[in-house]
Amino acid sequence: MSDATSSRDTMAPIRRPRRWHIAVFLLPAFLVYSAVMILPLIETLRLSLFNTVDGEPAFVGLANFKVLFGDARWAADFWNALKNNVIFFIIHMLVQNPIGVALAAMLSIPKLRFAAFYRTAIFLPTLLSFVIVGFIWKLILSPIWGVSPYLMDLVGLKSFFSPWLGKPDTALIAVSLISVWQYVGIPMMLIYAALLNIPEEVIEAAECDGVTGWSQFWKIKLPLILPAIGIISILTFVGNFNAFDLVYTVQGALAGPDKSTDILGTLLYRTFFGFQLQLGDRSMGATIATVMFLIILAGVSLYLFVIQRRMRRYQF
Amino acid sequence: MSKARASLSRTTLVHLALIGYTLIAVFPVFLTLINSMKSRNAIFRNPMQLPTTETFDLVGYTTVLGQGDFASYFQNSFIVTVAAIALVLLFGAMAAFALSEYRFRGNTLMGLYLALGIMIPIRLGTVAILQGMVATGLVNTLTALILVYTAQGIPLAVFILSEFMRTVSDDLKNAGRIDGLSEYAIFFRLVLPLVRPAMATVAVFTMIPIWNDLWFPLILAPSEATKTVTLGSQLFIGQFVTNWNAVLAALSLAILPVLVLYLVFSRQLIRGITSGAVK
Amino acid sequence: MGSLQLKSVRKSFGPVDVLKGIDLDVKDGEFVIFVGPSGCGKSTLLRIIAGLEDATSGSITIDDQEVATVPPAKRGIAMVFQSYALYPHLNVKDNMGLGLKQAGTPKDEIDRRVAKASAMLSLEKYLTRRPAELSGGQRQRVAIGRAIVREPKLFLFDEPLSNLDAALRVNTRLEIARLHRELKATMIYVTHDQVEAMTLADKIVVLDAGVIQQVGSPMELYNRPANLFVAGFIGSPGMNFIDAGRLGVSDAKTIGVRPEHVALSRDAGTWQGKVVHVEHLGADTIVYLESEAIGTLTVRLFGEHHHAVGDVVFATPSADQTHRFDAVGQAIR
Ligand SMILES: Nc1ncnc2c1ncn2[C@@H]1O[C@H](COP(=O)(O)OP(=O)(O)OP(=O)(O)O)[C@@H](O)[C@H]1O
Ligand SMILES: [Mg+2]
Repeated sequence: MSDATSSRDTMAPIRRPRRWHIAVFLLPAFLVYSAVMILPLIETLRLSLFNTVDGEPAFVGLANFKVLFGDARWAADFWNALKNNVIFFIIHMLVQNPIGVALAAMLSIPKLRFAAFYRTAIFLPTLLSFVIVGFIWKLILSPIWGVSPYLMDLVGLKSFFSPWLGKPDTALIAVSLISVWQYVGIPMMLIYAALLNIPEEVIEAAECDGVTGWSQFWKIKLPLILPAIGIISILTFVGNFNAFDLVYTVQGALAGPDKSTDILGTLLYRTFFGFQLQLGDRSMGATIATVMFLIILAGVSLYLFVIQRRMRRYQF
Repeated sequence: MSKARASLSRTTLVHLALIGYTLIAVFPVFLTLINSMKSRNAIFRNPMQLPTTETFDLVGYTTVLGQGDFASYFQNSFIVTVAAIALVLLFGAMAAFALSEYRFRGNTLMGLYLALGIMIPIRLGTVAILQGMVATGLVNTLTALILVYTAQGIPLAVFILSEFMRTVSDDLKNAGRIDGLSEYAIFFRLVLPLVRPAMATVAVFTMIPIWNDLWFPLILAPSEATKTVTLGSQLFIGQFVTNWNAVLAALSLAILPVLVLYLVFSRQLIRGITSGAVK
Repeated sequence: MGSLQLKSVRKSFGPVDVLKGIDLDVKDGEFVIFVGPSGCGKSTLLRIIAGLEDATSGSITIDDQEVATVPPAKRGIAMVFQSYALYPHLNVKDNMGLGLKQAGTPKDEIDRRVAKASAMLSLEKYLTRRPAELSGGQRQRVAIGRAIVREPKLFLFDEPLSNLDAALRVNTRLEIARLHRELKATMIYVTHDQVEAMTLADKIVVLDAGVIQQVGSPMELYNRPANLFVAGFIGSPGMNFIDAGRLGVSDAKTIGVRPEHVALSRDAGTWQGKVVHVEHLGADTIVYLESEAIGTLTVRLFGEHHHAVGDVVFATPSADQTHRFDAVGQAIR
């Protein structure tokens, strides 16, 4: 805020010239963002309350949601996708984030040799597109190629190999782990940055107090990086409940086998665009998008108004 | 770290764990690259082996380059990414400047409004976005993608850049005003050059999801002329599922530009991510 | 209990030699202060004693036990950092108690020691606050309290007062002096501040460029500086150095005389000079002279004196309080 304008603020009666430049600075971002993001979002929410009745668009209230949650044609798919999505998220929280934290903790050990090399290598998968990642893993896990059985043989586990992506009871876990493999870099980097932010002297004070190694991590570092872990969790949540690309690449729009890897994103895609014999359904697509919106909104609100409030951010 | 503080065995364990995970992270990429240069028989018989003079074979690459229009896909991706980043940076910086520099009615509200998009994915509006693009005749144009990605990138850009712009000294801007610079000149000539490092961070954050996106190219611009690399390789590889040479070669071609760029810029990129994350 | 011996301790960071062979003997209960210009290696030496840094070579013994491979927590030391380095997520009580808890001390013993330390430092009211809710001075006292509760053999302080304002610095200085009397513990203290060094120390160690220049009591350093560096470093304003040749002295290279050991007269004296600047400090008056014979000379007079710029005056050094230094800067005794 400039002095010139603030002194004008206090002398209200003087007519000041309209500060058009503020509008000029804001307008482009506001327009593009509103027109391409916010309005379509609102329109989508609105569409979820309409459907085609006798060939005419008509307001149907919450009927679409009733169909989605309860109608025989839709409910099974929806609840299946929701359940899978929850599992998808839980696997990320249980595998991706702990691994990310562990890697960051190791990388932040002072004067660790080759740290830059490890960091660069481990972050590589995060930059690749889902398409590349999906296909690479499809090949590696394919029983035709035999790379996986060969590798498992090296550690004496050959008998455990099975075509995980092709079996309904393991496909979802396999796809989730592929996604974890790709995204571990993000929690790793964010936690790494948070760890670097802890002043060296606090760690040295802990050394003098005899708080070293594991207990140093649990008692000193972990409490100080909790806010970063909170951010990672909410990013994971939003990302997982709007995921689509990887499943689509690895298992196709049908999210096979037998819809065992179907998540909300793929369900939305199929519903909206149709596939094979089923025609695309705009209203039901909008309804699913609205449900996804509400889920994400609930998660974000929980984070902003409950979790983040409880968590202290420390000034060093 | 002093000897008295670190035990050798602990350091060794840490290195073992990191090497282990590094292998997990890099191995699949490495495997793809080496096998893309081998003959079909060798791919299956000895997947772990580096290509030797006997097994070396570029048949996959000749198939791919002979069939797919990768140059044009690449060009599309490039245009979309560069244009979207440029617009995100320009519009985002302008809005960030207005929000951080001036006090006006609705400032906080506008800030919150623009921040909404950080958490709510733009994908959820796809149904209506497609409708809008159909109505304006933008379906199957790169413009549609550029507009969507610009809207998608603006919230985070405004957020990060306004944090940085608050750190630019008021005295400097006031000195500019006393020297008769207009508000526009202050923005473009004084403030923008000072937040350049933050712009780089924003560019990185914006670029990766755009380059790798499959959803919007699939929905808004699936035509042959507007396919991006990501969509192109998705469809192309899908056709060749049984031609392993071609699939591996296509994957390698898709990986290589990213890999080269990453190896060149990884330092800046990682610094950008860590410094942006600290903010 | 709490003696410390350093024997030819060296430290290099890569090609840079920071400490070039430090020998030092600290007796139980002594208050030892390291002073020296910025970057001379004071903090590095302190951190080596603490075990936060390895010496490149040399031996460190605490209570006759070699500690080179002993981790910091087992050396019986406690350190107070310049930036306080409190644990931001713990309240005052837990900040003080963490080290004891880690060592498995029974809870009532921890409580007893924390209560005692916080009484000593008047921190009782703040025990449940977090560091962010304390003022700078209070944080510093918590940091000191955290050291006290460990009942260490050796207290290490790295410029503990430099983040405090002037008034608080004096208060905390007195507090530390009192603590030293009450605890009778060995303390090693790094500072930039001469007044802190002179007032607190039993023994001052003057470091420059990684080498100990002199070790001695404050008055020894003041009265019998071993070399030019110590002579110039201790005392404020600094000692006047006069080229011995200009005085016709042949058995020394440099003659030193402290500003407070020069008398001024308007009529007669050893050196004639012209006043170029005068500073009135109330208790003292500092007069800067320009003299044909010896160059510039600083004179410190007690009380108020009125000399105008341009006045011609005569300065006389107090005969038995001049110092002589040889060609390499060593004091001639
Ligand atoms: N980790 C390090 N790597 C390389 N050089 C270092 C390192 N730590 C300290 N140094 C160098 O060692 C020298 C002594 O540093 P030290 O911190 O001991 O100085 P100091 O006497 O405490 O200075 P100050 O009074 O400014 O705190 C400095 O020249 C510094 O640049
Ligand atoms: Mg220091």
